[in-house]
Amino acid sequence: MTTADSISERKSDSSDFFPKPSSGRTQRFIEKGAEIIFLLCALISIAAVVIICVYIFAGGIPAIAEIGLFDFLGGQRWKPYNEPAEYGIFPMILGSLYVTGGAVAVGVPVGLLTAIFMARFCPAPLYKVLKPMINLLAGIPSIVYGLFGMIVIVPIVRNLAGGDGNCIFTAALLLGMMILPTIIGLSETAIRSVPESYYEGAVALGATHERAVGTVVFPAAKSGILAGVILGIGRAIGETMAVIMVAGNQARMPKGLFAGVRTLTANIVTEMGDAGGLHYDALVATAVVLFGFILILNLCFSVLTNKKPKEGKSK
Amino acid sequence: MTMTGFRFDMKTYKKHPLSFLFMLLVWIAAALTAAVFIAVVGYVLIKGIPQLKPSLFAWNYTTDNVSMMPAIITTVEMVGISLLIAAPLGIFCSVYLTEYAKRGNKIVKVVRLTAETLQGIPSIVYGLFGMLCFVTSLKWGYSLLAGCFTVSIMILPLIMRSTEEALKSVPDSYREGSYGLGAGKLRTVFKIVIPSAGNGILAGIILAIGRIIGETAALMYTAGTVAQLPENVFMSGRTLSIHMYQLSREGLHTDDAAATAVILLITVFALNGLAEYIAKKLDKNKL
Amino acid sequence: MKKTFLSRFIAVSAALTAGLALAGCGSSGSGSGDTTTTAGGDTNSSSASVGAIAVVSREGGSGTRGAFIELMGIEVKGEDGSKTDRTTDEALIANSTNVVMTQVAGNVGGIGYISLGSLDDTVKAVTVDGTEATVDNILAGTYKVSRPFNIAVKGDVSDAAKDFMNYILSAEGQAVVQEKNFIPVDSAAAAFSSNGAEGKVVVGGSSSVSPVMEKLAESYQAVNPNVKIEIQTTDSSSGMKAAMDGTVDIGMASRELKDEEKASLTPTVIAMDGIAVIVNKENPVNALTSEQIMKIYTGEITSWDAVQ
Repeated sequence: MTTADSISERKSDSSDFFPKPSSGRTQRFIEKGAEIIFLLCALISIAAVVIICVYIFAGGIPAIAEIGLFDFLGGQRWKPYNEPAEYGIFPMILGSLYVTGGAVAVGVPVGLLTAIFMARFCPAPLYKVLKPMINLLAGIPSIVYGLFGMIVIVPIVRNLAGGDGNCIFTAALLLGMMILPTIIGLSETAIRSVPESYYEGAVALGATHERAVGTVVFPAAKSGILAGVILGIGRAIGETMAVIMVAGNQARMPKGLFAGVRTLTANIVTEMGDAGGLHYDALVATAVVLFGFILILNLCFSVLTNKKPKEGKSK
Repeated sequence: MTMTGFRFDMKTYKKHPLSFLFMLLVWIAAALTAAVFIAVVGYVLIKGIPQLKPSLFAWNYTTDNVSMMPAIITTVEMVGISLLIAAPLGIFCSVYLTEYAKRGNKIVKVVRLTAETLQGIPSIVYGLFGMLCFVTSLKWGYSLLAGCFTVSIMILPLIMRSTEEALKSVPDSYREGSYGLGAGKLRTVFKIVIPSAGNGILAGIILAIGRIIGETAALMYTAGTVAQLPENVFMSGRTLSIHMYQLSREGLHTDDAAATAVILLITVFALNGLAEYIAKKLDKNKL
Repeated sequence: MKKTFLSRFIAVSAALTAGLALAGCGSSGSGSGDTTTTAGGDTNSSSASVGAIAVVSREGGSGTRGAFIELMGIEVKGEDGSKTDRTTDEALIANSTNVVMTQVAGNVGGIGYISLGSLDDTVKAVTVDGTEATVDNILAGTYKVSRPFNIAVKGDVSDAAKDFMNYILSAEGQAVVQEKNFIPVDSAAAAFSSNGAEGKVVVGGSSSVSPVMEKLAESYQAVNPNVKIEIQTTDSSSGMKAAMDGTVDIGMASRELKDEEKASLTPTVIAMDGIAVIVNKENPVNALTSEQIMKIYTGEITSWDAVQ
């Protein structure tokens, strides 16, 4: 990240030294206009996020205040339909963490290795088949994954592990499958964009193909790979339609790998349609918590990307 | 970049068992990915193909013949309009971030953070936001336009993120060369940088297409679920995945839902192909 | 060289897929083996037990669940106005009728409840207190588990909307309701005569009501083609909200209206819907009492042995 930033800085500075084309003023005018348009686009994206944030937080924060932060985050009972109602989302927080963690454990290794395969190992004829396959996987709607999970994976898990098959394990497996194309797509681009000289240098020093790819090319592509992984995790945390069909959705504390669980998103989707009053706001507040998750995740990764290069160089 | 080719030399591997292991793992992972593809797509095809019948492609949807033709057309329209909104916005935004903004610029940090945050918002929240903002406040009602704007915001970070990565990976020498030949910044960006980053941008757009086609929750509350073909963008219509969701929901048309899944796959495949074709065309024209 | 790798690769992925498929077939295979032994068992105590009960319920806000827990006594109301939904925490929560049916159809020990209009032969409906879940029994009042389908409007509606509502409650409209396996509210309704209105009517709400509403719209437009009817399928509460803020002209709900909804909307019952209690087809149990169902859903009974 830092290296890229410094590159872009050098770039924008250096451009001033290069001679501009002849028609000076109009040219400069167009250049300036274009920059403003680009800046506007950037600002529009910020505006979109700000509006959504305002909307979510305006709904969620008062609800959290009314329920009480600790009762909301730490409460173990979610009984919105009772009178008096209870709104504790701790079980769902754990649920989301377990399911996403599982999905990462399944999807990230397979996804990254596949990305390496696609970029550095894949014979050309196979690539022509595999690449469209992965692109197609990215486009399969989550309900299709959900139905697949419910009809194919759930019975298998039920037979192997007992219970009713709708559990953390199934959900994690299915989500792991779903985040594969995201991770593969972005990581492959990142690995391919590592300059060929890195690889050649490593091979010239006597490294095998695998060693060169694994220890030189792959680490050099870290920023892009991490972007892909973050996107994948984001998708896993935010996924609903598929998880809802295989996770069981019980709003109670998780009881193990092979027992049902409800995620934050499932909580929002199952109840949003028919909620009103404080219940509705509590669901929006659930979205605020999700939001917080994503922020924390992004912060963690930006810390990671900023630190890693120093360690890498010492090797 | 050329394929380095695949060499399989048992002697080398005997000397470097770790390398062998790595090679093995990489192949297994790829095989697993392929297995996932075969399983999911195979499932869809086996379930769906027997249910396909010509009447499902009639121009009109009725309760006796739940035709998906209107939904197919709506899906294509939805993808087209949303990309028209989001792709330029996303690409220009990343151009600003990588080519124009100076290091340490606050806007860069804010945009990056917001983009990453946008990704984590579950689609149902987009749906409810779209409903409140476009459907109710702006009084567009359930309409294609409301749906398009909602999904545009949704796919914006995807396009931004992948474009940014792609732009960053364009070697600096390209830019310097262009400047050296006397090209201005704008010309460099459009003639050199964006075309060389074409593949990465395309990857983002393909992901975005997939996301739009697969979206249900966000569209149900914005574009609505009317099964007939919308006559203009201010009318409501359903995309294929909403069509499929609605068919399977009450358990009344599960067979037709299975058939719809097949068509969904074919649509994704076709749109991906189209995106690739356009990117290739642009590549040839520009370079 | 390349070829051998290509073929090896394909072979490995094919084998992995086959492994998956075999495991899947294994599960359904063992299931179908059970069918042959238990099929035809008419009484509850005919054959081996199917073991633990897998309770499938709907999400909290579902109209189906609301009616079910109230009628079965799963929800208890205290004197101080408190309400407690005692549905067991272990119940699997499905967010659509289809998911309930798939889960019950795929799990021998499953039990669930669905709208009578969606019932098909992938699952088996049990009798409740000795009465079968049929339209006739609900009409006769012997099968008690049912709920209303409501439409709701805000204040004055357009002539077109009025005309459509009149059609729904006419003899023709109620005939459509019955044809879709729902229970008409007025068996002696007058024949329909259109007021000749023109325009567009947007109807939106519950996905349970939507299939019958689509049918009603089609047959109405055959009588009065000058009115265009648009149907938005979301859910009961979204439908009511949309009716309140004017996004739709007529809202649909598969439950009674809440008090805050009643404050601004006028509901009309257009049909009744039975709720069928379903079990897996291989389950020998054919009859349950409402007390047994209550105990199953509150988690007191966890094995099918206890109700055989």
